[in-house]
Amino acid sequence: MITAARELLAAKGLTKRYGSVVALDNVTFSIHEGVTGILGENGAGKSTSIRIFLGLVQPTSGQALVLGEDASSSLAVRARLGYMPEHDCLPSQVSAADFLTHMAELSGLPRSAARTRAADVLRHTGLFEERYRPIGGYSTGMKQRVKLAQALVHDPAFVFLDEPTAGLDPVGREEMLSLVRKTHREFGISVLLSSHLMADVERTCDRIIVIQGGHLVHAGEVGQFTRETETVFIEVDTHREELALALRRRGVAVAAEGSGLTIKGPDESVYDHVRDALVETEAPLRRMAPRRRALTELFERQPA
Amino acid sequence: MTGTVFDIGYRSYTGAREGRGRSRLALFRDGVRASLGLGRPPRAKVLPWLFVVLLSGIALVMAMIAGAAERLVGDGATEKLNLPTHADYYGIASILMFVFAALVAPELLCRDRREGVLQLYLVRPLTGTDYVAARWASFLTVMTVAAWLPQVILFLGLCMGDPAPIAYLREHWLDIPRFLASGIIMSTYVTTLALLTASFTSRRAYAAVFLVGLFAITTPFTIGLADEMRDGAGPWISMFNLTNIPLHVVDVIFGGPSEMTEDAPARVLGSTTLVTWYLAWILVPALVLWSRYRRATP
Repeated sequence: MITAARELLAAKGLTKRYGSVVALDNVTFSIHEGVTGILGENGAGKSTSIRIFLGLVQPTSGQALVLGEDASSSLAVRARLGYMPEHDCLPSQVSAADFLTHMAELSGLPRSAARTRAADVLRHTGLFEERYRPIGGYSTGMKQRVKLAQALVHDPAFVFLDEPTAGLDPVGREEMLSLVRKTHREFGISVLLSSHLMADVERTCDRIIVIQGGHLVHAGEVGQFTRETETVFIEVDTHREELALALRRRGVAVAAEGSGLTIKGPDESVYDHVRDALVETEAPLRRMAPRRRALTELFERQPA
Repeated sequence: MTGTVFDIGYRSYTGAREGRGRSRLALFRDGVRASLGLGRPPRAKVLPWLFVVLLSGIALVMAMIAGAAERLVGDGATEKLNLPTHADYYGIASILMFVFAALVAPELLCRDRREGVLQLYLVRPLTGTDYVAARWASFLTVMTVAAWLPQVILFLGLCMGDPAPIAYLREHWLDIPRFLASGIIMSTYVTTLALLTASFTSRRAYAAVFLVGLFAITTPFTIGLADEMRDGAGPWISMFNLTNIPLHVVDVIFGGPSEMTEDAPARVLGSTTLVTWYLAWILVPALVLWSRYRRATP
């Protein structure tokens, strides 16, 4: 259940241009506690948004606030943020334990606390046994875990995960998504998960922000979106047209799809209307099932 | 007796957060460790420690020769035989110091960029200026200690090799602040130039080859050309002998030329010009280095 949550990130009229290329175009959204997915195709503007929030890039116009502050002007706020980049970012010669201790210290933790936190986070991310080996000898999955661990080692209030499942096999991907869920549910750290994989976002996130071509396409709860796009699919052996007419007479919006009919956004009364229409037309029912559309459909919407 | 392992779950951190000062210190310490290969595989330790041993070895040999001469020739043999001492050490070891810096200093900047670690640093409470300043300070520290250590060995060797160590200490105690100051002069110069070169590439080998090549080419070229034109532009050409730029300042500190610089035409230009020239070779590269990293964060 999603409770009323405080605003952690806010983009207000955010625009970023690189010469003539518009990476973000007047984008406004806010992100609250929980796991939020930012979804978009490659080049949609996801990474640019994250880099602006982290203070690495200045927006052309608009404002990006993280925990109520602008990360490009407030260094203190960066101590409460974590970032897992998409690309390689790990030193090959250093052990995971030393690297995490170093990264915790870089976020302001005293040395002894940094050591303790490094050991704790490596245990939670399943790397405790391997912590003294140089990172260069790790598998891709282990490196992804170190990347996540370094983002969490200083116990941030908010963490940005940029394509955390990139390059992972199905098992590794499932484990990483499980760690992402755990990051919020057990560690209490809110997450912004950037991905171009709809399944990852749908399975992991409470809320979703969809960006396409630098425009905000959708922002809201994943559950709400999937409810909005739910359909009922009805398949009958005969009398399909008669059934469609009977449903339309009852005010139900129905469309033909393959050998059956589809009803968009059904409410409770629709099922009664379907029952009555089936009785009236004597159409032999083969199958009736609710169906959720995939997040793919978000990309089919026109930019706002 | 068997123990029980309890999973105490995730614990949030509620302790102190010490801010930017702690971040800079962590980066400084990491730079020192990276320079010396500490916490890295054995192959990362080979180069830095080899140079430390070589630099100290030169001082050890100098001290042993001076000690033997004192005993064989008699009191004051070092001066009589004109054996090299503290003022000459940096001239003799300067090539090794340049190669040390050229090979080791790029490790601090190039690897961070090539492996992508820099992007993680810059989202921490650090600026690009903090990053490059901490890296510069860490290599300067390593280089300074590497420059001082042989001089300390040399001083102890000369002192103990002298038939009257206390008298030697009384007569030569001023060499201590002189070689400490000269060590900083040498280290600052090689550190700044080596890190500036490293800031232009993500490959350590490119930076090292460029810097060693620069010294290897300019030194004999400027010596030859300056000698040919000794009465004309020779002194000015001699100023571009990159090896001698810090050595002229070392001469000023020790109050006279060393064996390496006594024939350098640039000496006629005077101490003020040579010290100003040295400062320009520190400040301009340092500004370029800083400007390259300052822009890394808004």
